Amino acid sequence: MSEMWINMGPQHPMTHGLWNLRVHIDGEMVLDVDPEMGYLHRGIEKISEDRHYNEVVTLMDRCCYVAGLAWEHLYILSAEQALAIRPPERAEWIRMMSEEFQRLGSHIMWYAAFVQDIGLMSPFLYGMRDRDLILDLFQSYTGARMTYEYMRVGGVRNDLPNGFTDRARKVCDWLIDRFVEYDRLCLGSDIFHKRCDGLGTMSEKDCVAYGVTGPMLRSAGSRRDLRKDRPYSAYDRVEFDVATADGADVTARYLVRMEEMRQSVRIIRQALDWLDRHPGPVMAARVPRWLGAPYAPIGNEGYLLKRNYPKGLGLSAIEEPHGEAQAYTVNDGGEHPYRVKFRSPVFANISAAKKYLVGYRVADIPPIMGSVDVCVGECDR
Amino acid sequence: MSASAESRAAGKPVGAPLPVVTQAAVPFIEIETLRAKEFVPAAKEALSAMIAERGRGELTQPVFNWAGRNSLFPLHWGLACCAIEFAAAFGARWDAERFGVVPRSSPRQCDLMIVNGTVTWKVAHKLITLYEQMPEPKWVIAMGNCATGGGPFRTAYSVVPGVDKLVPVDLYIAGCPPRPEAMLDGILKLEELIRERKE
Amino acid sequence: MEAEFSAQVSARLGDRVAGIESFPGTLGRVRFRADAALDVFRSMRDDLAFDHLSMVGGIDWVDHREAFYVLWSDARRAYVILSADLPAQNPHIESATSIWPSANWHERETWELVDIHFDHHPDLRHLLMPDGYAFHPLLRSFKLHEPEELEVKTRNV
Repeated sequence: MSEMWINMGPQHPMTHGLWNLRVHIDGEMVLDVDPEMGYLHRGIEKISEDRHYNEVVTLMDRCCYVAGLAWEHLYILSAEQALAIRPPERAEWIRMMSEEFQRLGSHIMWYAAFVQDIGLMSPFLYGMRDRDLILDLFQSYTGARMTYEYMRVGGVRNDLPNGFTDRARKVCDWLIDRFVEYDRLCLGSDIFHKRCDGLGTMSEKDCVAYGVTGPMLRSAGSRRDLRKDRPYSAYDRVEFDVATADGADVTARYLVRMEEMRQSVRIIRQALDWLDRHPGPVMAARVPRWLGAPYAPIGNEGYLLKRNYPKGLGLSAIEEPHGEAQAYTVNDGGEHPYRVKFRSPVFANISAAKKYLVGYRVADIPPIMGSVDVCVGECDR
Repeated sequence: MSASAESRAAGKPVGAPLPVVTQAAVPFIEIETLRAKEFVPAAKEALSAMIAERGRGELTQPVFNWAGRNSLFPLHWGLACCAIEFAAAFGARWDAERFGVVPRSSPRQCDLMIVNGTVTWKVAHKLITLYEQMPEPKWVIAMGNCATGGGPFRTAYSVVPGVDKLVPVDLYIAGCPPRPEAMLDGILKLEELIRERKE
Repeated sequence: MEAEFSAQVSARLGDRVAGIESFPGTLGRVRFRADAALDVFRSMRDDLAFDHLSMVGGIDWVDHREAFYVLWSDARRAYVILSADLPAQNPHIESATSIWPSANWHERETWELVDIHFDHHPDLRHLLMPDGYAFHPLLRSFKLHEPEELEVKTRNV
């Protein structure tokens, strides 16, 4: 009688999205968990097979709605490899800067949602205030707050507007001061430490075996970061440190994300300096017509290009805010991708839930799952 | 300083005279008046007399509508992308709570369901259950293109093309996702709808 | 580095590997025989130090199916892609869950969407679609429709 299964979700303040955590409990102790996903499965991989290469970018924004530009970057890198197109250097730097701003936005969103879960209300207001500064920057050069559709195969859609770099520097200066405030609000609070210290531990060995990546892996002491280990875009030309922590618990994950945000600001400042000094094109010159303008009717010329286009495969892997994301694009010479397969870091992180939830109490589940940083859109795709 | 506060300051006993009950239109009610023992039966008597005189719908419906439209409690849940803009609307910049909109986590405390994202067939029956658990009167806002008609995912095998296939929708907000201003505008439009409501 | 790696793979696995293609950004794309899957997986993890399985996926090539695995090695700091061709009729391959626990959910998803059966999987049931969903949507024979088309079709039935 004392043992039972309960559902936390799909509508539950802990889930931050649509998924269901089935918990087997004995009193307050968690004996077993079984995450139930798929409530937001939108068939993005299938719809991509009916879309032109550039149209898939639209789906990527909605796929991970807190880190849209990072997922655009991920897909575009794999599509460019499959189509054998190289972007100009300035586009690479703009993409890298966008991804880092997106990492800031995603981590601040995580901070706002997570700290509210453990009972501190004001960090939500602070976090949403600062996230909006970043969204305003995005809006100034992509035109949208959340769904950008900014990157293209062979570059980015448009260059940065005049005066962008100065505005971005101001935002960086503002944010770097706010991180001190964030730390004071959380690390200076007894509630935070009592609810987070020593919870949800997972050793580095388990993390590797279960495919857990990103801040969760680095909080266990690992130094794995694809931006360092397998540099893409312009990450091999900027200086930054990999954020790590010891302890592998909720507090350690908090510390890793906070340090990552500081490193992101460092990368962005270098990127802005570079972008100031190097004007140039942001779109590759030799992009097939049916890629550059997918809505134009395909005439003879486009048809010929389509027929003669070489087949190819593309695998890209980026360090997304939640962890390592991968995209595998199969180009069979047609105008649509034959198959696009995505690897979501959240998918793998939740699949290991048994390892870091069993043995704790029911009230510990919200802080632990909050520290995982769940984004159901990319998990279910 | 109100009348009861003055009498309290002067040390007079509170609650003996009940001016509010005998008047027909009562904009504000003081707490002390409500606490008085005589208030409830007297108010009941006065109200029933007025109802008998003026007819039930004409008097009570505007009061209910006024109370309902100024304290819309939406269900606190996030379906997809629009949920992030939904959350942003409750942040410091837009502050949706100044319109009396406070998200509640239990459907039994809500009278407004904002469907903020793509609805899949897997979550469809759970959405209907949540809707049925909400007490009457209740309203539904379809926020964003996915909830309105499936949006970019309308062809997908797992997506409901529009939440109006499942529950009655009072208001649609366009956008993918709508900006927080659009969401607030939608809520104000819904308040106008509620003002017009008649049983 | 790629040449060294392909020499190592050939020495360890011999004829269980059908060929190694070069793949930019990784150590290569290793095509292996599906009936020797478990040997290949174990050798990859224990002998060649690929301790992290990133992704499992499937592709429907109409005349056959392909299962692919993306592995990462912390020691080598590099990816490798494993790929096995399976017949279109009753495609099945040994599950990698006993070697890499992270394969669990990826294989469930691949079985659900691409209809590749993973033998000896501990828990092969629906993950993304509801229980009892009868189709495998990522097969090429599964077509998408506009909702209006579907409505017309069901009304005519």
